[in-house]
Amino acid sequence: MGFMNRHLLITAEPIDETVLVAQRVLSSGMGAVVYFLGVVRATEEGAQISAIEYEAFQRMAEHQFHLLFDEMEKRWPIESVRLVHRVGLVKVSVPSLWVEVIAPHRGEAFAACQWLIDEMKRVVPIWKKPVEKSE
Amino acid sequence: MTKSERNPNVARRTGREPAVSVSVCFYSYFKELSGCERATVTLSRGSTLGELFRKLIEQFPKLGAMQKSTLMAVGLDYEDRNYILQDGDEVSLFPPVQGG
Repeated sequence: MGFMNRHLLITAEPIDETVLVAQRVLSSGMGAVVYFLGVVRATEEGAQISAIEYEAFQRMAEHQFHLLFDEMEKRWPIESVRLVHRVGLVKVSVPSLWVEVIAPHRGEAFAACQWLIDEMKRVVPIWKKPVEKSE
Repeated sequence: MTKSERNPNVARRTGREPAVSVSVCFYSYFKELSGCERATVTLSRGSTLGELFRKLIEQFPKLGAMQKSTLMAVGLDYEDRNYILQDGDEVSLFPPVQGG
């Protein structure tokens, strides 16, 4: 089994895609880079909102993410996974999640990225509280 | 050595077994339901996470409505309701997670 690079950040700072893309490390055997940006929508369960307040149980969230990374490493030949999740107030149209998976082929890169996000929504202790629009 | 010292089951019946004390942290809207962020609960030795939850519902009745959807962790790992609590365990209670 190969060594999978991992980068995890749960942060109150804005997600800077430009910096993340510039930090990408890719070996010559890799043919697929999949990345996903999750953005706060203007509606939540039918209500207009201005932002979402994210709360994490940070230590457990990091531990659970690493368990998911361990599982990814067993399932797919992934060279690198990087994930950034916001906490605190995130306004509408602003990214709350950035995930990147690098693998030899697109099939495994897409599958692993989708699986990671699905599992995150099942086990990683992060919650959101919508902030309703005041006007 | 007395019979009770040799046999832990006998010792338990004497009622002299030390209790276990656990801390409980609430996350997300469970803080509103309980009205606090953390609590300390003392239970008899051998108590399970399920028994702790029933005790918490007596103390914080609004948690009762969330019985089926409550997630529970000890330390940083999920545990089921049959988990036997150890003295000093850090228990966390929270609603379904919603990252992303």
